Amino acid sequence: MPVTFTFGEMLSARSVIGTTLAELGESHDNLWVLTPDIGATLVEFREKYPERFVDVGLAEQVCVGVAAGLAYDGNIPVVSGMLPFLSMRALEQIRTDVCYPNLPVKIIGTHGGLVGNGGSTHYAVEDLALMCSLTNMTVTSIGDPMMVGEILRQSMSMSGPLYIRLAVGKSDKVIYEAGQHDVEIGKGIVARDGDDVTLFTHGTTVSQALDVADELAADGKSVRVVDLFTLKPIDEELIVRCVDETGGRVVVLEDHVAYGGLASRVADVVADRGLKLTAFERLGIPQVYAGFGDDEELRDKHGYGHKATVEAIRRVLGTG
Amino acid sequence: MSRSTPTTAGANSVESLEALAFELRSKLLELCGTYEGAVHIGGDLSVADILVALYHYGLNVDPADIASPERDRFILSKGHAAVCMYIAMAMRGFFSYDDIVDTYGQLDSAYGMHPCKVQLPGVECSTGSLGHGLPLAVGMALSARHRGEAHRVFTLMGDGETGEGSVWEAVMAARSNELGNMVAIIDRNRQLMTSFAEERVVFEPYPDKWRAFGWNVVEVDGHDMTELVTAIDELPEPSSRIPTVIIAETVKGKGVDFMERNLAWHAGSLGAEDLEKARASLSSGHQGETA
Ligand SMILES: Cc1ncc(C[n+]2csc(CCOP(=O)(O)OP(=O)(O)O)c2C)c(N)n1
Repeated sequence: MPVTFTFGEMLSARSVIGTTLAELGESHDNLWVLTPDIGATLVEFREKYPERFVDVGLAEQVCVGVAAGLAYDGNIPVVSGMLPFLSMRALEQIRTDVCYPNLPVKIIGTHGGLVGNGGSTHYAVEDLALMCSLTNMTVTSIGDPMMVGEILRQSMSMSGPLYIRLAVGKSDKVIYEAGQHDVEIGKGIVARDGDDVTLFTHGTTVSQALDVADELAADGKSVRVVDLFTLKPIDEELIVRCVDETGGRVVVLEDHVAYGGLASRVADVVADRGLKLTAFERLGIPQVYAGFGDDEELRDKHGYGHKATVEAIRRVLGTG
Repeated sequence: MSRSTPTTAGANSVESLEALAFELRSKLLELCGTYEGAVHIGGDLSVADILVALYHYGLNVDPADIASPERDRFILSKGHAAVCMYIAMAMRGFFSYDDIVDTYGQLDSAYGMHPCKVQLPGVECSTGSLGHGLPLAVGMALSARHRGEAHRVFTLMGDGETGEGSVWEAVMAARSNELGNMVAIIDRNRQLMTSFAEERVVFEPYPDKWRAFGWNVVEVDGHDMTELVTAIDELPEPSSRIPTVIIAETVKGKGVDFMERNLAWHAGSLGAEDLEKARASLSSGHQGETA
């Protein structure tokens, strides 16, 4: 289903996390919020439910382990922090303590992609590859700040683990109008319809993809933008349909290493289902440690910014 | 084994070190005022005296020979204080301060929020993810011991950082391997990012924790240059068999009244007005001290 979207309004995804958790804490008395010293936006929950708020300090492994222990006992723990440290330092806890017993622990965090200018210690750029490889894990990457609240609400009834990836989350573009599309974990969103080529993306680059589609529309090119915000389980049927309806022309754009993230998920579906492609390009982070710079500058430098995306689509359309 | 080369900076007097620390803080404020993004100014100001005591007194390093095998190794494990280290090193001749101010955090700059060894030779290790420095130090200290080299390996950590389990695993490894050539320094400012020590994480009895792990514990006022210099002078020989931790009692935001012990100033940037206030506060404190 096509969705309408409005550009412009900026909202902090972190503040959405804060208010949503405070709201859910009321309806779910077994909801716990845990953080390794990254709790500045969790103040509302902490003040309302201090006994269900745990800040372990600088100790990501313990944070996830404690969450698993709480979940073993019937609680719904949400671990909120910075993804480079949660997805890597606490990887074994996530895999062995959370995914192995299939516990409903939610890991939500910021700094997914080349965002925040902290350098390579502070960019989570391999996290989706790591998380997608874990049995039982559901993996999401969210670009629209309002959607974060919706995903958290839906996650309350999930029986297994969930990973939610955000960018910096301080000031994000509202991409979708409330209620104009069904947000459902496991189902992609056709953010903009089109039939010349499909641009699959997720997270921060959704808004870039929409800008690119706008620019190319002025040229008479019809770009379908698909927000595959759930990377696992991937929406196979939507991929199959898009490949079919846009002449087998596919571009994947993501703020993640170009091999191992969404592009690889899409390529797997293409191979497994024997889909016929006319052209395929992947835009993402190459195998380099990216260095410092603003988000947009880094995307340009590493070949997956706005201009590079326009060029890739032109190539795929045979007009490049 | 004894130290082969005396440190060239070791001749600095306490007074000149204090003046350097003031200069370092002034430069930090200037950068915090000119750079648009956030600077980890709270944790920079708390380690300013320590970094001066190291780069301008204690460390046997030579900006003209950054790969010398005999050099002391320094690992900034609390990598978010990178800019404080860059400036302290610039003042010692490693880098150009103007380059730091002009390019900090910008695309292709070597001077980023967290130190990168590859982009900035002279920096010993790429850090920023907390809890990594001390294990690296164990490796470097083992190597030095194996090669019969007499240098030391220093690691500067935040107290909050020592919540990471990897720190205590390395504490055990250092003691087990009898690495008296290791010196850990704790910036004991009693603040994490979002809480004060003891509020949510109990650190005390902090020095006893290190003693219980078999380390030699030295407690100092981390803003008193005489105490810092003395602690460095009295370090056991690198050939000894017990690692040393210097627990430096500090104040996060030290020198700027509105930043001191204020959780809002873990990181931030200064507008023109606040920059003036910060400078005034720094100067008045400094005059008070030297009077
Ligand atoms: C592994 C890891 N987790 C989280 C962070 C984010 N972070 C940076 S500084 C900081 C607080 C550190 O506190 P402390 O070590 O006491 O340093 P200081 O107070 O001197 O800044 C946090 C949580 C990080 N850099 N690395």
